[in-house]
Amino acid sequence: MFSVSKDYAPPFGMIAPFFWIGSLFYLLGMVFLLFLSPDAGHFDPAVAGWAHWFLLGFMMMIIFGAMAQLVPVVVEVGHFSVDLYYIIWPLLLLGTVLMSAGFWISPTILPYGGLIVLISMVIFLYDTLMTLRKVTNVTLTVKTVVASNLFLLAGILTGFMMALAVGAGLDVDIGNWLGAHAVLVLGGYVTLTIMGLSMILLPMFGLSHGFDETPVNQAFYLMIAGVIFYFFATVIGWELGKFLAFVMMLASVTLYLHQVVIIYQTRARKENDIWAKSMFVGYGSLLLAAMLGLVYMMTNSENFLMSSAWFLMIGFFSFLINGHLYKIIPFLVWFERYSPLVGKEKVPMLADMLPKRMADYEFIFSSLGLLIGGIGLLVGNSDLFMGGVSLLIAGALFMFMSVRWMLKYGENKSQ
Amino acid sequence: MCAITKEQVFDAISTVIDPEVGFNLVEMGLIYDAIIDETCNVKVIMTLSTRGCPLHQMITQWVKEAVEKLEGVGEVEVEVVWEPAWNITMADDNVKKALNG
Repeated sequence: MFSVSKDYAPPFGMIAPFFWIGSLFYLLGMVFLLFLSPDAGHFDPAVAGWAHWFLLGFMMMIIFGAMAQLVPVVVEVGHFSVDLYYIIWPLLLLGTVLMSAGFWISPTILPYGGLIVLISMVIFLYDTLMTLRKVTNVTLTVKTVVASNLFLLAGILTGFMMALAVGAGLDVDIGNWLGAHAVLVLGGYVTLTIMGLSMILLPMFGLSHGFDETPVNQAFYLMIAGVIFYFFATVIGWELGKFLAFVMMLASVTLYLHQVVIIYQTRARKENDIWAKSMFVGYGSLLLAAMLGLVYMMTNSENFLMSSAWFLMIGFFSFLINGHLYKIIPFLVWFERYSPLVGKEKVPMLADMLPKRMADYEFIFSSLGLLIGGIGLLVGNSDLFMGGVSLLIAGALFMFMSVRWMLKYGENKSQ
Repeated sequence: MCAITKEQVFDAISTVIDPEVGFNLVEMGLIYDAIIDETCNVKVIMTLSTRGCPLHQMITQWVKEAVEKLEGVGEVEVEVVWEPAWNITMADDNVKKALNG
């Protein structure tokens, strides 16, 4: 029978830096948007530097911190060596700063940052894949975790190859490989990981039961096939193949969204708390990003590509991650500081351990900023874009203060 | 003959609160049965609202400790089962009403 014992749970002090750093990178990332032009294309080094700051420093940092806690829950065995997480975050932090500096200041720094990021991710993958070797109950979720981690490895290797091309003159067609790098990391790792984790977390927090899982199973296979197909289309330089792979990935996203609707319809817990509201905006953004991506494929207009990426990153990724922080951090804090006191004294409920007003402000500012900034990108209006960014900065500031508030809750209860 | 009743066992377990939803395990409908033998050994049959619950082991430990507080109780065993799977219809009306927002 499966259980996650206290031995499986990583120490709070090990995971907390991931959330501190991640939310700080998010805040600074929103500030750095002020220095980007809405007319900048996806090949612009300023955009590439910002994208790596956001995706590595915020998103991957928090995903890795969350995975330290969630891997045992998802695959039903303890970590191979959870202590490795002590060195993952410092390496990822340093590598991310150097990589962004490489894009913004001097390309010669880029390979050094890329190498450090590569090492941190290889350590993460080593623990995850060695953990997976202990699994006896090989479910579809486990297979998906394996596939997504292999995609991450391929994604960071292609990224490092491009870093060598930019910074050290390696002869690589960056234009050809940039798409494969983005598809491997964002489709193959991030989206598959979110799909897998959400199949555990959405029913858990919404108390959904007895729903059909066919759509998400099909979505998993389609996304895996689409990413592999895109990779090989890149290797042989087959443009139509890349287009077909995109269609497969879009179909996968559509099926996944259908699954989310099914889970939503069967939930017993109908309260629209900050987590639920964040999920609404996050999944709405994913739908919008998919539609804009479809229009880009038909028109090849850079505005549609950039606004699709905007709603994917600032909408889907940010709201899903930030929304789950309001669940994950209180749980970790409660587990560390209050679970030993159960039965001995009154302990708080998890819902009491988040700053509701600050969280509401974060949600309102971030949602408005997402929408206004996205419209600014779509129509190429700098004033709208900057207005949206200003609201996002306010939202990110409330997010950072909320994370601080949650991590410090009951600090005097520490054992 | 053991004097401990099933009602007493359920009352003892009703002091255990799920920190995520804020209701006790009995009103959530998570406690399926309590089998008490002649020497007052108790076996609690229960489930959890989700298979991947990270508090699985702690919750079963809290249930065990709550029942062990009953006077005259013998060995206490807690078994978690997944059939029948829990659903909201098993919860008390106050829980259903509160969860409906």
